[in-house]
Amino acid sequence: MDATRIKIVKDDINKFINVPVNMQWDFMGRDDSITDYEVDAVNQVIGGPQDFEIIRFAHNIFLKDNTEIKHVFNFYDYSQPITATTVGNWSPNYLNNGFSVQDVYYYSKSFTKSFFKLDFYDSPNDTVQNLYLSIILPTQQGLTQTATLSPTLPPVEIKKPEMILDYIGSDKEGFFIYWLRSRDFIDVNTFYMSAKFFDAITGVFKQMTNVKQTLLLPGKFTFNNSDYKYYKVDLDYSNQTYEVFSTSTGLRLGDNNSPITWYEYVNP
Amino acid sequence: MVDPTTRIIQSDQRYKSAPLSDQFLNIPFTQNMKELIEFDRTVDISLITVFDEERQASPTFRPITKFTLLFENAYTGSTTYVPFRDNLYYTNAIQNAVSYYPSGNVPSVPPQPINSTVPWDGFPQYPEFDFIRTDSRVSGYTFGNGKHLEFKPVSATTYNWSHYVSYPYLNVYQKKMYAIEPNTQISWSWSASDGIPFVITEGSDKTIGFIRFKCPVPHGLSTGQFVLLSSNYNGNSFFQVSRLGNGGSGSEEYIFNIQNVGYTGTTFITLNQGTFKRVLDATNSADTISQYYVRKHKILTDAECAVLVNAGYEKNIYNDKTKCEIKSLTPNQRKRTSVKEGSRSYTLSFNCDVKIDNLRDNQNRPLTQLFFTTIWRGYFGWTQKLKQGWDFNTFLKDGKPQIWWDQNNADSNASVSQSQYFTFNNPTPFFYNNFYTTGDTLDGDYCEWNNYEQLERVISTYQHKITYNNDWFKLPSDNLTTTNQYGYFYQPHNPIQLRVFSDYVEESNSENIVGIPDYAYYSTLISSFRWRDLYSYGFVSSDGVGVDYPFLNNAHYPFVSTIFRITPENYNIPSDYATPINPSQIDTYQGGKVPFDINTIAEPLIDGCD
Repeated sequence: MDATRIKIVKDDINKFINVPVNMQWDFMGRDDSITDYEVDAVNQVIGGPQDFEIIRFAHNIFLKDNTEIKHVFNFYDYSQPITATTVGNWSPNYLNNGFSVQDVYYYSKSFTKSFFKLDFYDSPNDTVQNLYLSIILPTQQGLTQTATLSPTLPPVEIKKPEMILDYIGSDKEGFFIYWLRSRDFIDVNTFYMSAKFFDAITGVFKQMTNVKQTLLLPGKFTFNNSDYKYYKVDLDYSNQTYEVFSTSTGLRLGDNNSPITWYEYVNP
Repeated sequence: MVDPTTRIIQSDQRYKSAPLSDQFLNIPFTQNMKELIEFDRTVDISLITVFDEERQASPTFRPITKFTLLFENAYTGSTTYVPFRDNLYYTNAIQNAVSYYPSGNVPSVPPQPINSTVPWDGFPQYPEFDFIRTDSRVSGYTFGNGKHLEFKPVSATTYNWSHYVSYPYLNVYQKKMYAIEPNTQISWSWSASDGIPFVITEGSDKTIGFIRFKCPVPHGLSTGQFVLLSSNYNGNSFFQVSRLGNGGSGSEEYIFNIQNVGYTGTTFITLNQGTFKRVLDATNSADTISQYYVRKHKILTDAECAVLVNAGYEKNIYNDKTKCEIKSLTPNQRKRTSVKEGSRSYTLSFNCDVKIDNLRDNQNRPLTQLFFTTIWRGYFGWTQKLKQGWDFNTFLKDGKPQIWWDQNNADSNASVSQSQYFTFNNPTPFFYNNFYTTGDTLDGDYCEWNNYEQLERVISTYQHKITYNNDWFKLPSDNLTTTNQYGYFYQPHNPIQLRVFSDYVEESNSENIVGIPDYAYYSTLISSFRWRDLYSYGFVSSDGVGVDYPFLNNAHYPFVSTIFRITPENYNIPSDYATPINPSQIDTYQGGKVPFDINTIAEPLIDGCD
C-alpha cells in the first residue's frame, strides 16, 4: 500500500473517517493456532490413538529357576452324593465326571470338546467385578494315569486333569497370559482367577472352588464366593511375568510341589 | 478490536483555547493481516485423513518376521564326552559298537566290558542348531544323572541363538579385509575405503585391444563409467570402462575392461593387482566418486525383548530327517529317535517398541531400514570363538577354508564377547557367546555409496562362521589345521523395510524449492542440491516403490518373511556308513566329500522306536 499517510485539512466542520478495520481480516499466525485447535477439537470428538497391543506374561521363576505352572482339577466322585450330612471324595480323574476310559483314551467328542476355563476378574467381589480375560485349557493337555480299557487288553495311559504348563513341551497352551502392553487405558495388574469346567457330555459349566466343599464356611452350600472361588494373579510389568497366590494364605502357588488346586463344586 | 467509526474532532474544539492545527492520521495498512475465507474454519473430520496424519507422525515400530530356518547338517565328527556322545545322530554305529563293546553286545545281557575311550561318530543333532530347543527332558543330557546342564525352559529360545533389532548408524572406512581368488592363488588385503580389489587377467603384455580386470566382488560398474585406479599411468588414474565381462555367463558382474590404447610399461601387465573406485564423471570426480565402507550396526533391543514362537502350521519344504538309534548300537544302551535336520518355521516379534524418531542411518538420512540381527549363542558349548567376514570370504581355497577364518586371525573376530563354564570337574571349558545389549555395536555389510546417485549398494553381505570346538567334537582332519576347520556360515543381519526413497534423484538449488531435506548432497558440479525423496507410509508409486503395512495402536507393524540359512562350508559326510575294511583308512574314508542323502539308507523294518 502506498497511501499510508492521509492529510486532513482543517475547516469549520467536523469530519469523520471510517477506517475499514472489519472482521473479515485476521492476524497472521493465528492459522497455526487454529490448526492446533483443530487437532485438539478432533481429538476431543473422536479421540486420539490408543495402544491396545498385548504382550505375553510368562509364569515367573519359582524355586530352582523352574517356570512351570501346575493346575490340578479335582472332580467329585458322584458314587456318594453330597447332602446336608454326607460328603464324598474328590480326585483328579476324568472318570469321576462321567467319562469312560474309552472316551478319554479314544478322544471322544464329548471329551475333546470339554475344556477348563480360567476367568480373570479385577475383583473377587461378584457384585462389582469385571471379567477381563479368559484362558482355555483343553482336555488334551495333562499328565496321564493308568487305566483299563478292556480286561483282554493291557493297561493304557489316559489323560488326567493335572496340567503342568511351561514355555516348551506338549503342554503349553494357557501358560502365557496375554494382557495390555500399555497401562494407560486399563490399569489392572492384579486379577482374581476362577475356574470352570465345560462338560460337553451335558453341555453345562461346572464351577470350581479353591478348597474342598467340605471346608467351605460357613456351610458347604452357603459360602462367600470371594473367599473360595479365586486365586490372586499378579502381573509384573517390569519383567513381564505373573505369579499366583492363595487368597486365603497369601502364599505363592503354582509349582509342582504347591500346585493350583481346584475342586468341583456340587450343587445341593 | 478497533471501533470502525473513529471520530476525529477539529483541533480547536478539543479544549478551550486549543489552537487550530492540521491533523494527520496514520493508518497502518501493513501486511500482518490476511483475508479470512468464509467456512475456512469449518473442518469435516475425515477418518482417512486423521488415520494418515497419525500414521505419518508415529515413530513407533513393532517389526515382525517369519523365519524359515534352512539348515543342512553336513559335518560328522566324533566325541568321547559322554552327554554329547550319547546324543549324536550316529553315522558309524556298528564299527563304534564293535570297538566300544569288545566282548560283544548280546541283547539279553548287559554288555561287559566297555571301552569308554572309544569315540562315537555322528552328527550333532538338529536341536543343537534349532531356534527353539525342545530337548528339555533328555535323560543324561539336559536332566538327570550325568547331565551336561540343567535345561531351563525359559531359556529354550536363547540357548542356541539370540535375536535383536539393529540399524546401521555409521560407516567404518578403515575395516581390514581379505579376499583370495580361488583359481589364480591371488589374494588381496585392503582397507574397505580403498575400493574394490582387482587383478588384471588380460594385461597390456597380451597385446590385445583391451585390458581385463577381474574382481572378487561385484564391481557395480556400467559401460561408460570411469574407474579411479590405485595405480596410475603417466600420472593419470582415471580410465573409462569400455565393456563388461569376458563372455562367460554372469561375468559382467565381476569383470570389466578398459580400452588398450597401446599402454606400455608395467602398469597394466597381467596379474597386476590393485583397487579401484567407481567414478561417474572423470571431469567431476569430487562429486561422482564412490565411497566404500563397512556399515556399523547399533543394537536397539535387548535379547529379553525378543519373542520367538513356532509359526503355526508352517514348515519348510524339506521334511524332518530322523532315524532310530537301536539300543544295541548306542553307548548307553537306550533306543531313541535322533534328528539330523528339522523343518520348523518361527515367528519373531519384540515386546519392546522400536522408536526411530531420533535415529539417523549411516548416511545421516532418516531411518528407512531396520535389521533383524541374529547371533549364534552356542550355550551348550560345542563351538569355539565366533568369526566374522563377508560373503567373498565364504568360498573355499583349494578345498579348504580361507586363512581369513583362522582362529588366530584377530581381524576376523566377531565383536561379541565370550564366556565359559565347566562340567564334571573337567578342566576344559565350554565356550558360549554373551548377549548383546542395547547400544552395543557390530559390523555389517560391505557397501558402496555414491553422493551423486544418492544410492547405497551392498557389495558383499556380512557373514558369521560357526566352528566346532575340537576339545568336544572332533572333525576328521581332512588335512586342515585345527585352528581353521570347516564350519557353518549364516547372515546375521536381515533387513526389513520401513520406508523407501524415491527411485529418482531430485535436483534443485535452495532458491527454487522450499523444504530441501537436510540430508541432501550439494553438488559443486551443478551448484545444486541432490537428494531422493522419502515416500510417506502407505504411498506406493506406479512402479511399485513404497511400503504399505498395517498401522494400528499408534504403531507401525512391518512384516517380512526371512529365510535364515545355516550353510555348511563343505561336506565331510562319508559315502556310506559301512565300516572300512582297513581301520587305518578311517581318516581318508571320513573325509570323502560326497554330499549324500542319508535318507536313502535303509532303516530296519522293526526298529524298536515305533
